[in-house]
Amino acid sequence: MSELRNVAVVGFAQAPIVACDAHRTATEMLYPQVKRALAECGVEREAIDYQTAGSADYIDGRPFGFVAALDVMGAWPPKQDSHLEMDAAFAAYYAWIRIQAGECDTAMVVGYGKVSEGQPERILNLQLDPYYQAPLGLGPMTTAALQASAYMARSGTTDRDLAEIAARNRAAGARNPDAQVREAATAEALQQTPWVVEPLRQGYVPPIGESAVCLILAAEGKAEELCDRPVWIQGIDQRAELQTLGARDLSRSASARLATEKALAMAGLDSASEVDVIELFATNPAEEMILREAMGLPPAGETKPVVNPSGGPITGHPLMMTGLIRLGEAFRQLSGRAGAHAVPNARRAIAHAAQGHALQQNLVFVLGRERRWS
Amino acid sequence: MKRPVAVVGVGQTHHAARRSDLSMPGLLREAIDRALLDAGLEHKDIDAVVLGKAPDMLEGIMQPEQFLIGAVGGHLKPVIRVHTAGSVGATTALAAVTHVASGLFERVLTVAFEKQSEGNTMWALSPNLPFTPPLVAGAGGYFAPYIRAYIARTKAPPHIGPMIAANARANAGRNEYAHLREPMTVEDVMQSPMLWDPIRYLETCPSSDGAVAMIVASEAAAKKGPRKPAWVRAGASYAEAMWVPARDQVNPAAGRACAKHVYDAAGITDPWNQIDTAEIYVPFSWFEAMWLENLGFCDLGEGWRIVDRGEQKFGAHLPINPSGGVLCTNPIGASGMLRFGEAALQVMGRAGAHQVEGAKTALGHAYGGGAQYFAMWIVTSEL
Repeated sequence: MSELRNVAVVGFAQAPIVACDAHRTATEMLYPQVKRALAECGVEREAIDYQTAGSADYIDGRPFGFVAALDVMGAWPPKQDSHLEMDAAFAAYYAWIRIQAGECDTAMVVGYGKVSEGQPERILNLQLDPYYQAPLGLGPMTTAALQASAYMARSGTTDRDLAEIAARNRAAGARNPDAQVREAATAEALQQTPWVVEPLRQGYVPPIGESAVCLILAAEGKAEELCDRPVWIQGIDQRAELQTLGARDLSRSASARLATEKALAMAGLDSASEVDVIELFATNPAEEMILREAMGLPPAGETKPVVNPSGGPITGHPLMMTGLIRLGEAFRQLSGRAGAHAVPNARRAIAHAAQGHALQQNLVFVLGRERRWS
Repeated sequence: MKRPVAVVGVGQTHHAARRSDLSMPGLLREAIDRALLDAGLEHKDIDAVVLGKAPDMLEGIMQPEQFLIGAVGGHLKPVIRVHTAGSVGATTALAAVTHVASGLFERVLTVAFEKQSEGNTMWALSPNLPFTPPLVAGAGGYFAPYIRAYIARTKAPPHIGPMIAANARANAGRNEYAHLREPMTVEDVMQSPMLWDPIRYLETCPSSDGAVAMIVASEAAAKKGPRKPAWVRAGASYAEAMWVPARDQVNPAAGRACAKHVYDAAGITDPWNQIDTAEIYVPFSWFEAMWLENLGFCDLGEGWRIVDRGEQKFGAHLPINPSGGVLCTNPIGASGMLRFGEAALQVMGRAGAHQVEGAKTALGHAYGGGAQYFAMWIVTSEL
């Protein structure tokens, strides 16, 4: 792993997360983001060597939904292309590997999906083992509640603890113009909201939301031309684990722990606490606590590193792009583009993405203002 | 590519309309176990897993790789899931090659599957979309007009498609894994019912259950293996937009661009004479003639003449689809990777009864979407 290329995030555009964009299709939502991200880099689509997307047919409600995005990304003349049926953050991971392999120097990564047109609780039930688990009627909220219960039982975490984490995310989301939930709320108020599935309350989990995202990656040499302050990827790793809920210790995330260790080692860091800001794919407060523990971070309530200054997924969770937004937010923080939710003097960040039930698969990017390899 | 990459193991299931004897994890295990055995490796030797399949609606499971993590040996490993329509099996293998070429991974397992008997493919491929008239005709209904356009352009006689279908079946007879192996004559094909003019029943790919797996490895890892690997000399995947007026779905620009890319990278200037055999994605008979032209094996309008002269038959100048191809075996998500795996087996000299004698350079090819996604690789017996 000696001769890695320095690769940077050089552009990012995101549609504000909304409950339902009633007047536009998924690709109509995406097109302006592609244009904005390219404009931010000062180039047209011809300047990009490779394009890749993350989306899911079941979110689109049809087979081959991703084909429509080819026109939006501008695949004419034909482009080198791929598509992952994963959160678009994993498409960014794969694009980074392609750049490492020397197959391209620049890549466009998009994520999209009209979440409002389906019923995520029903659709994501279909992600579970069809023989033993899906027939039980479990959905993402019930599996998340099982995980939260397991963590609370082991750690002694209380409902109040969860409420305070949710309140902190809500306060942060109020400063992020792209967040869906932009009203701050006190822990007391959130504790009064009804259970969705005990121990998760309505105030602790995101509403259904949709967006569209475009991110541009570039290798050293190109990155400086495309961006005044490129944000360099210093470490990266991802790990999956068994889905079977009964075969895992749901109170812990073994895959997040391992991915963090490997990504930190690549970045030459000893601890995740050495970074200034972290964007976690935590869709409820218990996930944040489990991830903090797995990544070796201080417990919730500590203020350094700053976790989810964007408000995090609790204030906006557009399926298939929530992970890529974490990477985009880390770029915003380190390149001086975070506006009202900027963390002052942030020099290093971690962006985390997850997918599957109960944090089944985890991806970690370590990012910095400096190049990693000389 | 930053460093050489080799195929060190290939395994596939016995393909059939219904593999009711196996669950989905079992189907994957049959292919993966054979690939690992072939490479002399175990799961602990594998650094990452790259899985591909076609639309999730075919089995009715969203992102099935999540529940298949155990079956593919992916626990606590990096795993990605690729989906690029019909080309997906090939694009998936290329993603695995990229993993190794990057220098970050030594041995990567790549696997692709479809268990069509779990669902209803015609339903799954016939969505009713807003502002679009429902086609309710599946892939055959979509592609038939382009075949008619090809015939109109080239004045190809009507027996060409049936000749291709009969030849594919003769080839599949030599492949123990193929789904449809019963011999049939050109006359049989021409007597079979018309489905989507000019595509007859016996000129159409079947619906299959099946999986295929490969292990790709670095040069150092490959040289530790029990036998000679296949070397990946070039690989590329290209896509083209859907609503561009300049598109030509008879001779797609993305196919030409992809072929040029892999030929340039592999130093091929005369594909008809430098390539010894090709496994190309032919779901409906006539596409064999069309792709011969699109891939630059001949001039435009000459593809059907190659078929008419029998120069693409087993034992002839350029055997096309010696395995029998997609016309005889079509587990959709795996079909592209089967093309790549069969090409690799040919240059390893291990294709069994359908081995092309002396094959040293082979092309694997797949396409998908509305002839929009293309993925190809060139494999060779020597580095």
